[in-house]
Amino acid sequence: MNWQEVLDRSSLFLLQLTNGLTLGSIYALIAVGYTMVYGVLELINFAHGEVYMMGAFIAYHLVSVYDVPFFAAFAIALVICSAFGIFLEYFAYRPLRDARRLVALISAIGMSIFLQNLALIIWGAQQKSFPYKKLPSLFSSMAFTLGDINLSYLQVFIFLLSVVLMFVLHYIIRHTKTGMAMRAIAQDAKAASLMGINLNRVISFTFAAGSFLGAVAGVLVGVYYNAIWPTMGYMAGIKAFAAAVLGGIGSVPGAILGGTILGVAEAFGAGYISSAYRDGIAYAIMILVLIFKPAGLLGKSVVQRR
Amino acid sequence: MTRGLILLVLLLIPWIPIGDPIHYVLRLATMLMLYMVLALGLNVVTGFIGYLDLGYVGFYAIGAYTSALLSGYNDIPYLIVFFVVILHGCLWGILRGIPTLGLTGDYFAIVTFGFSELIVLIIRNEVWLTRGPMGITGIKGPSMFGYTLSRDWEFFYLILFILTLAIVIIKRMENSRIGRAMAAIRDDEVAAEACGIDARRYKMLAFALSASFGAAAGSFYAHWLGVAHPDMFHFWESILILCIIIIGGMGSVSGIILGALVLIPTTELLRAALLALSQWGTSAGITFISPDIVNARYLIFGIILVLMMRLRPDGLKR
Amino acid sequence: MKMLYIRVFILLAVVFSLLPLDLFAQDSIRLPVVSPYTGGLASFGEGVKNGAMLKAEEINASGGINGRKIEIQMEDDLCEPKEASNVATRVANNKDVVIVIGHLCSSATLAALPIYKKAELVAITPASTNPSIGKSSGYYFRTVYQDEFQGAFLARYAVEVMKFKKIAIFYEVNDYSMGLKTAFVQEAQKRGVTIIGEEAYTSATTDFTPQLAKFKIMKPDALFIPGYAPQGTLIINQATKLGMKVSFFGADGLDDVIMLSNKNAEGLLVTTPFLAEAAGGSAKAFIEVYTKKYGKEPNWFAANTYDAVGIAAEAIAKAGANRQKIRQYMVAINSPEKAYKGVTGSTYFDKYGDCLKPAFIKVIKDGQWGSAKEQLK
Repeated sequence: MNWQEVLDRSSLFLLQLTNGLTLGSIYALIAVGYTMVYGVLELINFAHGEVYMMGAFIAYHLVSVYDVPFFAAFAIALVICSAFGIFLEYFAYRPLRDARRLVALISAIGMSIFLQNLALIIWGAQQKSFPYKKLPSLFSSMAFTLGDINLSYLQVFIFLLSVVLMFVLHYIIRHTKTGMAMRAIAQDAKAASLMGINLNRVISFTFAAGSFLGAVAGVLVGVYYNAIWPTMGYMAGIKAFAAAVLGGIGSVPGAILGGTILGVAEAFGAGYISSAYRDGIAYAIMILVLIFKPAGLLGKSVVQRR
Repeated sequence: MTRGLILLVLLLIPWIPIGDPIHYVLRLATMLMLYMVLALGLNVVTGFIGYLDLGYVGFYAIGAYTSALLSGYNDIPYLIVFFVVILHGCLWGILRGIPTLGLTGDYFAIVTFGFSELIVLIIRNEVWLTRGPMGITGIKGPSMFGYTLSRDWEFFYLILFILTLAIVIIKRMENSRIGRAMAAIRDDEVAAEACGIDARRYKMLAFALSASFGAAAGSFYAHWLGVAHPDMFHFWESILILCIIIIGGMGSVSGIILGALVLIPTTELLRAALLALSQWGTSAGITFISPDIVNARYLIFGIILVLMMRLRPDGLKR
Repeated sequence: MKMLYIRVFILLAVVFSLLPLDLFAQDSIRLPVVSPYTGGLASFGEGVKNGAMLKAEEINASGGINGRKIEIQMEDDLCEPKEASNVATRVANNKDVVIVIGHLCSSATLAALPIYKKAELVAITPASTNPSIGKSSGYYFRTVYQDEFQGAFLARYAVEVMKFKKIAIFYEVNDYSMGLKTAFVQEAQKRGVTIIGEEAYTSATTDFTPQLAKFKIMKPDALFIPGYAPQGTLIINQATKLGMKVSFFGADGLDDVIMLSNKNAEGLLVTTPFLAEAAGGSAKAFIEVYTKKYGKEPNWFAANTYDAVGIAAEAIAKAGANRQKIRQYMVAINSPEKAYKGVTGSTYFDKYGDCLKPAFIKVIKDGQWGSAKEQLK
């Protein structure tokens, strides 16, 4: 092995790692939304991927049609999506809170189909992209270049923003009253409401926060890949859900860990093993982990409610 | 229940033009019954022992491809093929069951999902075996006693037979020791085990049975369409089958039949209704009904799902 | 409970019997155009819809077919074999339908094919390239290239004109892409090109960097992308972001307007059945009218569908509204002299219903499609 080859191989490795981490932080952002909702309601919120898609589309629409500056559009999209998350819960899940879990699941699937087709009708099926000129110019420049490895400011931004948001979320859950209420509901909703916790308000907050993070991921993906289309939430949603389960569903740190692992596994799987089996490698890792750790990486095994 | 089925057959018979090679209503009815078989199969796991299975389409695909590879090009009597397909389905049900026995709830669900995605991915990528995305085409109809089925009404009776068989099996099981044991596992696995029910054995039985139903349906599907292609086995199919079970009211045979009756024709009904609406719009000169309205089918379908759950959260039955 | 059953059954029976009826039968000729209009691949349906609508409008404006207006009936198959078979049966059962345009995805076409065959109904697909379609039907015709021809053509171009030595291939796992790839590799290797790497992706992918990073280390002259535009534009962007300095080229799947808004796609080479400069007046007029009406240039789906509708209309006009006669008419279009002259050049069919068309190479220059400097003879 000569020097060139060693250099090539190590830079390939680093490239895959940075890509994996970028991908992973996006999965983690979406996965946290799943896991938070699951924590309080034990519901797989299938429409979460669609909230992510809506976030991207709203920001796109504001930037390209109304000429809103990018960061303002980003913020507006986040607010709209949080509100939408609350509405989603109010409309599709709250009436079913006392029904069996799978009933709410079907309602979620219905919402997911509806939102996908709504986006299709509003924005059309063609792939959309943010106009280059309206994006901050910093995004397209490279933060760091070394030989074959380069890292764009956007990648750094995505990574940092995810980390910051995760810390904020962690703070909210651990150190605020709402967070404490959320944890209480996760343990026993009935007892929590008997203790004077306003169940509806806390659940609404959970949905708003989850949708907020989902929308962040949506806009970031829309900018990073410069592609937005109506069914983009489907695959991302499934992967993120898998990540949430991998980390132990209901656990926020678990979702972050699961998302990162899945992203890195995908990058390395496609880079080193077989690109045709890229998703398969991610799923296989997930299955293996769950077989040996049946409650996910950081999950606690609890007796299941149905 | 049996009365319901008889009623269904009676109502459909007037539309069976024997001899006609293709027939739309007949085709829909066949598809309806195909989904009933699938839903009955999934119900063994999701309804009887209470485990959410998101990967049912994997067995469907295994059945279709086993059948296509065995008898797509060779003249093997269909009864033998059918038997092999069922055994193959069972085998995979057990193979999937062994590592997942210890999993609970949604962990089980996501493993089944990963499993089915892996199956479809293998089908898509292993071109030497399955022809991958080129698909296996020109699969002949099932041949029985020297006769090869090809007309729509012949397939109609074949699936009617399979469905009847499936209902008989499920009904007999439901009211037997096995059925009661499974119900006990669904209600409380720990308590069931404490009562001396070997939960692992019954769960394994449920996995195998459920998988063989899926495989049987897949076999029929491949011969009926004449094609086996990885596009036929999207994740969405698993979800659709799950919807049938839950909309009907989980666990009972009659609920499943009702769920399929309502859900499967809906998209086709919407197609016809929206097309009529758009044609009426053009002929009456109403411009705000654009011809694009025909593409709102799934938008409406989504709303219907949500509303159905809101209005009848316990399923249509009950 | 029992009452509910009976009600549902009766309702279904009534509705089922209404289903196949054509409620608003009128004098116009119904022409079903089947394609995915919703679902994950709906973006492909947009060009199909626009192309078909445009041609139908033009035919109607010039008096219709023997005085009868043509009415496009959009049928959505979601690119799913199951839905496709439903649509096909529905369409075939309607005795007023004499010819069908459709099915985009090969999987959908394959499921619909035996049905059209049984119903003796001619179908023209503007996009399905699976090689087994033509050979197994007799009722299927296509206005789209064959993969083998296009792949070999691209290989010749890459070697003779572009003088590429080391080529990497990034293909999608579908029959179109894999067919192109196989034909390309065969021809290219015959001509002494090294294929230094082949990687695959699936249509649901958005992140292509792992595979591209692998290519980057291999340092190819060019990257061949035999896929579709939505993924193609992402691949080109991500390759540029990675700092890959290679030429990109692809087949007609990349011929889409979204490429033009991508500044990284400058210099992209694609095959096309028609060149605005080289083609006759009809193609130029088509591009102009289409761009004016829909605000973007037509892609190959639109152009192929436009011609398919043209062929269908001519078949109905000349052979009459009769399924058998239309088939005889279509089979008779078998030589360059009898070819249909449309915007994608002259279309005529071989004995399998596959069409033989000339191919050109076009390139993106300053955000516009233009003819490549050199064309193959």
